[in-house]
Amino acid sequence: MTMLRKLTPYLFVAPLMIFIALFTYIPILASLNLSFREWNFLTPDMPFVGFRNYEQLLASRDVWNSLWVTTLFTVLSVPLRLGLALMIAAYLVRETMHVRLLRGALFLPSVTSTVSIAVVFSWVFSTDYGMVNAILGTFGLGKVQWLQNPHLALWVLVFVNTWKQIGYDIIIYIAGLQAIPRELYDAAAVDGGKRLHVFRRITMPLVMPTTYFLLVISVIEAFQVFTIVNIMTRGGPAGATDMLVNLLYEIGFVLFDIGRGSALAVLLFILLVGLAILKSRIIGRKVHYEA
Amino acid sequence: MKPENPILAGLALIAGLLFLSPVLYSIWMSFQTVDAYYAGELGFTLDNYARAVGQYNFARYLLNSLIVSGLVTLLGITFATMAAYAFARYSFRGANLLFAATVATLMIPSHISLIPNYLTLAKIGLLDSYAGLILPAISNGFAAFFLRQYIRGIPKALDEAAYMDGASSLQVLWRIIVPLSRPAIASMALYIFITEWNNYIWPLVAVGKQDLYTLQIGLARLYRINPGEGLIDWPLVMAASTITILPVLLGFLLVERHLVRGITMGAVK
Repeated sequence: MTMLRKLTPYLFVAPLMIFIALFTYIPILASLNLSFREWNFLTPDMPFVGFRNYEQLLASRDVWNSLWVTTLFTVLSVPLRLGLALMIAAYLVRETMHVRLLRGALFLPSVTSTVSIAVVFSWVFSTDYGMVNAILGTFGLGKVQWLQNPHLALWVLVFVNTWKQIGYDIIIYIAGLQAIPRELYDAAAVDGGKRLHVFRRITMPLVMPTTYFLLVISVIEAFQVFTIVNIMTRGGPAGATDMLVNLLYEIGFVLFDIGRGSALAVLLFILLVGLAILKSRIIGRKVHYEA
Repeated sequence: MKPENPILAGLALIAGLLFLSPVLYSIWMSFQTVDAYYAGELGFTLDNYARAVGQYNFARYLLNSLIVSGLVTLLGITFATMAAYAFARYSFRGANLLFAATVATLMIPSHISLIPNYLTLAKIGLLDSYAGLILPAISNGFAAFFLRQYIRGIPKALDEAAYMDGASSLQVLWRIIVPLSRPAIASMALYIFITEWNNYIWPLVAVGKQDLYTLQIGLARLYRINPGEGLIDWPLVMAASTITILPVLLGFLLVERHLVRGITMGAVK
């Protein structure tokens, strides 16, 4: 009986733990192992090749291009998302019926299928029959090749990603704003503080923990963007939108180069876990900040 | 609630509609004939849906998505609740380590497991099967973490009273913890369902047989193969896209507040 009682909690956690081990932790080790090997599914054995896959990756222009494009995408999209989201949230923080409706509308894309959104926006930005060029046309402007122009395609992806994710940022910011004590605003009103001034001196600093949280979350997310790339541009034109996970997919599942794909996965993993650890430091600071 | 300013309310409505206009227009387009669409005229039809469901197999994809997301949600929420209960109510050797391992999954990017999971499932012959789609998605560290925090807020005296009456730990979980955690469980189940419904990269690599496509894969392929000759058959593609977003859209309208609460609780706490 006591034996069984001691076993009880283990039985409760076992199913979750087994699946986490099988499909999350063991694969990390497996990736590491595969990254030191050469294999393409066809050969019967997978010889150990040391750091050769890593050397090839670091010598490859595709990889550096990918890192550059992903960084650019991140640097463009994250400040845009957070800046807009905070401004909109500052307005939507009040509780009226129309604010609720607007919040719902803004939040909707973040739970909608990314594939659908990517397909719909492929039409929106298509050259001949797209919505954007039709609107430009009514102002007498010529057609723009949004997704075929290497200088524009990445901006389009930044726009679509922002459109999809901003509702999430807004909801989180609203929760952060609601936690700011009302008395601070009342005090500022007594002192005759101007609205912009109050926003800069009270709202922005006090919502900083939320900003940190969203900053790290959205950077990690931006580094893993795949679906909109795969559907809208396939990494093109001429590699202009070839982000890291897209490259990983191409190497692993189009070229079937398991060793090199795994090595790239490991490199990206190290990068992202580094960022995640930074995030947990920041959340630690947030707890401190509130106390 | 404060009284409404009708002008502000009107502006907000217009802003919301403008924001959603690409999706709203895509739904409108799905009811147009392709000829009318390209001629810039109006021509109402349901034919796009008939073709998407019949000729292009979207009824099957819808069924696959429902089966996969449904089972992932059912198993995922069950395992997460069980583990959350143990983490919240028992102190046992290794509990801290196991809980840390659960929480750490939140920081582990999913792409790292893509190739190994593919190889594992290939080895045991589960690629191109429902099991292959479902198994890697079942464990949800976030749900377990979230529910553990929630269960810790339930007074322990309730458990103890039940034990006094001779209840087993399973009965305590089922009769006390689960009913009292219903809002949290509902939020997490919804979160798991939506995440799985919209999952793209795993079914993309794990499934080659057309009969096992989920809606996401079916839609991506339909768009890629371009069923129109030369010109893309946008109304057909938009009908397929509408089928893909509709279930989540309807669910969203019903339970938006649960969902928002779940997401903000998880992020801010």
